[in-house]
Amino acid sequence: MAFKAQETEYTQPTQADVDESIRKYGRDIYNDFDLDAPVFNDQHFEILDDLVEKCPVVHSTVGKGYYLVSQNTLVREVGQNWRTFSAAGGYMPNRPDGLPFLYPEESDPPVHTSWRQELNPFMGPKVIKGYEEQIREDANILIDAIIDKGKCEFVSEFAAVLPGWAFFKNVLGVPVEDLDKLVDGVESGTFSPDLDERGRKMGFVFQYLGDYLKKRSEEPPRGDMVDMIAEGVTYEDGSKSPWEHRVSVLVDMTFGGIATTTYVMASAINWLAENPEQRKLLVDDPETYMPRAIEEFARVFAPVVALGRTCTRDVELGGRQLKEGDFVMMVYAGASRDPRVVDEAKTIDITRETVLHSAFGVGIHRCIGSNLARLELRATFEELLRRIPEFHVVEPPTHVSGFLRSMRTLKIAW
Amino acid sequence: MKVHIEVGVDGGQQGCTGHGRCAMMAGEFYEVDDDGYAIHRGETVDVPAGLEDAARYGAGVCPERVIQIEE
Ligand code: HEM
Ligand code: SF4
Repeated sequence: MAFKAQETEYTQPTQADVDESIRKYGRDIYNDFDLDAPVFNDQHFEILDDLVEKCPVVHSTVGKGYYLVSQNTLVREVGQNWRTFSAAGGYMPNRPDGLPFLYPEESDPPVHTSWRQELNPFMGPKVIKGYEEQIREDANILIDAIIDKGKCEFVSEFAAVLPGWAFFKNVLGVPVEDLDKLVDGVESGTFSPDLDERGRKMGFVFQYLGDYLKKRSEEPPRGDMVDMIAEGVTYEDGSKSPWEHRVSVLVDMTFGGIATTTYVMASAINWLAENPEQRKLLVDDPETYMPRAIEEFARVFAPVVALGRTCTRDVELGGRQLKEGDFVMMVYAGASRDPRVVDEAKTIDITRETVLHSAFGVGIHRCIGSNLARLELRATFEELLRRIPEFHVVEPPTHVSGFLRSMRTLKIAW
Repeated sequence: MKVHIEVGVDGGQQGCTGHGRCAMMAGEFYEVDDDGYAIHRGETVDVPAGLEDAARYGAGVCPERVIQIEE
C-alpha cells in the first residue's frame, strides 16, 4: 500500500553532532533543548532542520522535562493515536497547576468528539465561504487606511487586525464597537512583554467572552456557533456540559485563530517583498499559484511550532522508551520541513505542486479553523497585491518563539 | 486505479479527520461534505479514466496520509 510509514532505523545524534550543536547554538539541542531559549528564536529554522534531520527523539531537561519528535512519521504516530498520547493533560510542557483546561484542544474522546461534532459544521468549507465578501471588504478597509501613507507597520496595522475582525465579526457576531479592545486584548494578552499587562488583557478577554456567552444565551437564537456553544453538548454519560466547559470552548476558538493567522500572513508579506519574481507570478496568475502559495506559506511559516501530549502508558517512540506520564511534543513546524517527505524542504517555492505539511496539525485535533485561515490569507494576498503590487521591506521583522512563533513588527513601504 | 480513504478507529485514529485538502487541491476527483470530511471515507472507489493524476495528487497532499492508491 502506498504512503504507509516506512520502517525506519532510528539513530540518535553522534557526539560530532552534539559538538556542532554546542558550537552553533551554545547548547546541546538534542539532549538539553529549550523551546523558550532565545537561540531558538534567533536561529529558528536552522535548529528545526537539525532536529528533524538528526534526532528522532529530542529531550529537554527544563522543569519536569519533556521530549520532542519532529520527523513527519513520528509526529503522525503521536498525533493520530490519542489513546496513547492524550491531550487531556494540556498542550504545553510544565503546565502550571490550577490552570483551567481549554476544550476541545485539551480533551480526549468522548468529550472531544461531542464538541467537535457540533462545532465542525460552523467552521466547514461551506459556512466559511459565506464570509468571503465581508473579509475582502475588511481587508480593503485596512488597505484604505495605509495606502496613501506609502508605508506601514504591517503587523499592527493589518496582520494582527484582519484575523481578529474575521473571527469576531463573522463567527462570534460581537458588536462592532467592541472589536478594537478585543483585538488588542488577544494580541497583548498573548504577547505583551509586560507580564502584568499580559495577565490583565487576557483576563479582560476571558471575562468578555464569558459575559458575551451569557448574554447570548438569554437572547433569541441566531443559529450561529455561539448559540451552539451556549446551549452546550451532551456528554456520553448523558450529562450536560458544565458552563465552564462552554466558556473554555469559546476561549479556545478565540485564541486558536488570531495570532496564528497573523504570523503566516505577515511572514508571507515579508517574503513576497523580498522575492519580487515569485510575487509577480502571484500577481499575474493567481488562479494557478495562490492555492499553492498559501499551502507553502503555512508549511514554512508554521505559527504552531510544537504542541504536546501526555503518554497514557509506557511506549516506544522513535527508538526510545517513554514512560507513562511522560510529556512529548510534536514539532509540527519540523514535520513540514522533513526531507524524508518534502523535496527541497528548506526552499520556499510557491510553484510547488504538491505541498505536504502538518501546519494545521494531524489527528483528531487538526485545526478546526483552517478553512477560515486560508480564506483570510487568500483575501489578504489578492486584495493587497491588487492594490499595492510593489512593496519592499524597510526594517527587517522581529520575532518571538516558543511553542508558538509570532512576528512582532514588519515595516514595509511602497 | 482505485482509491481507498481510511476512516480510522473511533473516527479519528489514522483516518480522515476532515482537513479537506484533497478536495481543495484536487477537486476534480475528491469531494468533501459540509464538515470538510472526504465523502468517500471508508470506501474503496474506482478512479474514472482521466482523473488518475488528480487522485494521486490529492493523496500526496493529505496531511494524515490516509488516502491509499491502488494502481
Ligand atoms: C494559519 C492559521 C492557523 C494555524 C497554522 C493553526 C494551527 C493549528 C494546529 C497545528 C492545531 C492542532 C492542535 C493540536 O494538535 O493539539 C490547531 C487546532 C485548533 N485550531 Fe488552529 N490554526 C490556525 C488558525 C485557526 C483559526 C482561524 C481558528 C479558529 C477560528 C483555529 C482554531 C483552532 C482550534 C479551536 C483548535 C483545537 C481543535 C481541537 O482540539 O480539536 N485555528 N490549529
Ligand atoms: S485530505 Fe485526507 S484527511 Fe483531509 S479530507 Fe481529504 S482524506 Fe480526509
